[in-house]
Amino acid sequence: MQLNPSEISDLIKKKIENFDAHVEAHTEGTVVSVTDGIVRVHGLSEAMQGEMLEFPGGSYGMALNLERDSVGVVMLGAYQHITEGDTVKCTGRILEVPVGEALLGRVVDALGNPIDGKGAIETKLSSPIEKIAPGVIARQSVDQPVQIGLKAIDSMIPVGRGQRELIIGDRQTGKTAIAIDAIINQKGTGIKCIYVAIGQKRSSIANVVRKLEEHGAMEHTIIVVASASESAALQFIAPYTGCSMGEYFRDIGEDALIIYDDLTKQAWAYRQISLLLRRPPGREAYPGDVFYIHSRLLERAARINAVEVEKLTNGKVKGKTGSLTALPIIETQGGDVSAFVPTNVISITDGQIFLETGLFNSGIRPAVNAGLSVSRVGGAAQTKIIKKLGGGIRLDLAQFRELAAFAQFASDLDESTRKQIERGQRVTELMKQNQYAPMSVADMSVSLYAANAGFLDGLEVKKVRDFEAALLDFMHADESALMAKINEKGDYNDDIQKGIHNAIERFVKTGSW
Amino acid sequence: MAELSTLARPYAEAAFKRAKETGSSKQWSDSLTFLSLVIQDEALAAIVKNPRVGKQHTAQLILDICQDQIHDEAKNLLKVLIENDKLPLLPQISVMFEQYKADDEGYANVDLYSAYSLTKAEQGKYVAMLEKLLHKKVNASVSVDKSLIGGILAKAGDKVIDGSIKGQLHQLAKRL
Repeated sequence: MQLNPSEISDLIKKKIENFDAHVEAHTEGTVVSVTDGIVRVHGLSEAMQGEMLEFPGGSYGMALNLERDSVGVVMLGAYQHITEGDTVKCTGRILEVPVGEALLGRVVDALGNPIDGKGAIETKLSSPIEKIAPGVIARQSVDQPVQIGLKAIDSMIPVGRGQRELIIGDRQTGKTAIAIDAIINQKGTGIKCIYVAIGQKRSSIANVVRKLEEHGAMEHTIIVVASASESAALQFIAPYTGCSMGEYFRDIGEDALIIYDDLTKQAWAYRQISLLLRRPPGREAYPGDVFYIHSRLLERAARINAVEVEKLTNGKVKGKTGSLTALPIIETQGGDVSAFVPTNVISITDGQIFLETGLFNSGIRPAVNAGLSVSRVGGAAQTKIIKKLGGGIRLDLAQFRELAAFAQFASDLDESTRKQIERGQRVTELMKQNQYAPMSVADMSVSLYAANAGFLDGLEVKKVRDFEAALLDFMHADESALMAKINEKGDYNDDIQKGIHNAIERFVKTGSW
Repeated sequence: MAELSTLARPYAEAAFKRAKETGSSKQWSDSLTFLSLVIQDEALAAIVKNPRVGKQHTAQLILDICQDQIHDEAKNLLKVLIENDKLPLLPQISVMFEQYKADDEGYANVDLYSAYSLTKAEQGKYVAMLEKLLHKKVNASVSVDKSLIGGILAKAGDKVIDGSIKGQLHQLAKRL
């Protein structure tokens, strides 16, 4: 919608009329040195920690090192035009970003500026990027599920609303793929998603945006981008920006899901800034507070109770709890989960999903190592039906792992061992899932039921997935009422169990897979 | 690389404490101002930087220049600074000494910039307003800066109070 020239001049005239000119008091300092994105400023005795400072040319910086006679400032944006002797002003504001519903469907940078070319973001609300996490009394325990849509995860390593579940693995093991499937599966659930891309290639990010648009997932998603070519300062603050945007939804009694892809790169960016600020390096050259940058970020992902929501919304929202679920991603080198940053984040989160290169290469995708992965919230965050059926799956896989070494002696084993191995192979095959194809609760339940009840035992291993696909098509066509009923509440009772059992029997009789 | 102020602070503090003990703040202030002016002279600065000129020689040279303009204790300070290779800090020491003196005597040095020259009455009005804001007696030094277009700009150390039209235009530009 193009404005004509007189409308534009009216707009400007109105802005000028509403402009309230006042006497401004601020503190000033002078630039002493500019190196590698770090500026030392002399003076500025009243600068606050993390305050935004204004430089000539409209650049902004964040005050990180408050020393006796100078302030160490990390620049957010272009700094090539800054020279020694330039004047720096305090703005009196801690770094803030825009938040609100207007951000949904948009791609923004680490400061909240839109970069998708769809125009300015119309929101009056803003929030500081550093906020204190909800206190102990304000929280409520996690008991609602977040359906990731992947069988391997929802059955054995369930994630709840308000939980922090780490996705950890080597490069190219499918970490981002899990995150994207999780976002796609939140369509229609009312959970708002935020995907924070830290230090990634812009082409990868463009791919992610395109995939989400294709699957209609962009409308409930905000994408925060601090790509590899952006300054370390922006890569460092991007997760906090995303978290503030997610907290907006949490504090109004809604649910949100945030994915940090990935925190390893944020730790590298922070290490770069700290070393340039001459802070003493510690283990692996990381600064002493590298644990704190992650712990304070992840503590803000929580479920808050209705009383707290009412207080935060000044009584406007009653009886609803709010939550922010975090799925941080950490990339390990050579499968080493006992390195510094991975162990830090493992100790902070409520569980982890281990992805292994070996599994990925042998065709098991998602490459989840069910033995090492854990969710400390567990069954409390599962729908009743998945909880009932998932237990059997976990047991089968655990027993299979015990006996995996004997798999090559298949013919020389006793009956029960052989059966366990065969069941385990079929369940492993069943846990494989295509990318961008998250499953609903009903679909998953039917698959898991088929495995538990032994319907897969008579099939060849390589036919299992075809069987599953055909079974689900059959269920959608013939039993859509039952499927809708399962999807609605996730209940499990004798009726539903009989319904599923009979339906699968009927399908098996047709033999069409 | 430590800031100049950090390096100069011990010397300025010592000088001020001594000045208070002997009650000779004015004398110290004059001596330090004179010394910092001398050091900043180009020809002398070149000699001070030259590593081939010995410490004794430099000391003698500067003392000759200063003669009776600085009092005895200031001469001692000069010798200490030369001894520790901290002569270039003199301007910073002088500035910090003035700051300590101003804080101690309860007044603030304010630079007042105005677009047009102020009458005595107007000046008095602004000084009174600044005294109320800063809770200190104000020692104003007024100068004219046409680029402000209108209004006044006051600088007291780090603090800047901007009531000029130039400042308001800047705010408007940011808003638009």
